Amino acid sequence: MINKRTARLAVLGGLLMFVAAIAILLARQFNVGPARPAPGFRTFGPAGALVQITEYSDYACGACRAAADAAEKMLKVYGPDVRLELKHYPLVNIHRWSLDAAAYADCAGEQGKFKEYAAQLFENQEKWGDAKEKPKEFEAFASGLNLDWPAMQACAATPETLKRIKLDMAEAEMKGVNATPTFFINGKRAVGPAQFTEALRKFDTMLKARRQPPAGNCPEK
Amino acid sequence: MDKKTLIKNVIGLAARLAVAGIFIYAGTIKLLAPAEEFAYAIETYKVTGPALSLWAAYIMPWLELFSGLLLAAGIFTRFNAALCGALLLFFEALLGQAWLRGLPVTSCGCFGSGSSNSLGYEFLQNLVFLALAYLAFRRGGLFSADSALEDKA
Repeated sequence: MINKRTARLAVLGGLLMFVAAIAILLARQFNVGPARPAPGFRTFGPAGALVQITEYSDYACGACRAAADAAEKMLKVYGPDVRLELKHYPLVNIHRWSLDAAAYADCAGEQGKFKEYAAQLFENQEKWGDAKEKPKEFEAFASGLNLDWPAMQACAATPETLKRIKLDMAEAEMKGVNATPTFFINGKRAVGPAQFTEALRKFDTMLKARRQPPAGNCPEK
Repeated sequence: MDKKTLIKNVIGLAARLAVAGIFIYAGTIKLLAPAEEFAYAIETYKVTGPALSLWAAYIMPWLELFSGLLLAAGIFTRFNAALCGALLLFFEALLGQAWLRGLPVTSCGCFGSGSSNSLGYEFLQNLVFLALAYLAFRRGGLFSADSALEDKA
């Protein structure tokens, strides 16, 4: 028979564990936790930029293609005030070759041409996205960019490459991402290119004000 | 309580809080990252397969967090100090076998999947925590829920 003291301690312990579990689950929901940085070739802009964006994307998704264009323009307009980190979230259930595409994009990145290869994947997604057999386009894009295709194939087959993509996917799932593209702009979620553009507008005024010195300011004496 | 006993109890309390703190930190940092990250770290020890590693990665951080919290609060102090000690022994066994086999473990997984110190360093560090867990087991009752409820009873 459990005595009164043990029962009280058990209740106290149970309460403590309950509160801790709720706190952890809430912290996960609000993305409080250590961030795992994307590799250098998938990161654009300075580390200390005012606007920090993380994008979860799938190369076979049409909306991601539109978002990629918007992101490209954004980087040109805001330059050093923005940092964009691209993470893979291939929707493997509906896009059969997305995972392979992500792996080849990373391997092109290892050879210094991530952006160019990713652009090819987006531009031609209707050619390879629904292919029944493994698309030949992956090799064609590599040849067009003078990439070492055998090295890319070897790289894409390594556990490290797959691990990197799977960790991006796991991270996305933990953040509750279930559609692409999903952005986190200074921690705030935006889903799809329209929300992304809308969210950027909010930063526009702030960034412009930051660039222009206040009126009447005497810069140097 | 004489002065000597008080000093021993204060040392026991410090040891209890140190072990509890390290367990709470280790558990929390893993719980706030994807379980797959920690699972990859476990896999590098070449003891378990991917499926079992993932299960371990789901369960272990909660175990660390809860045992750390209960130890910090002094709820079932001796049991939780013993549990922390047993976990530390288990980690020592994992680290030791990897160290002896010369496995290329880049992250021990002790505090998430980030980079860590050498296996030898982590092994020695765990020995220190093991000693502290023993002290917590022997003398960790000061300012504990156990003793507070005992006083009331």
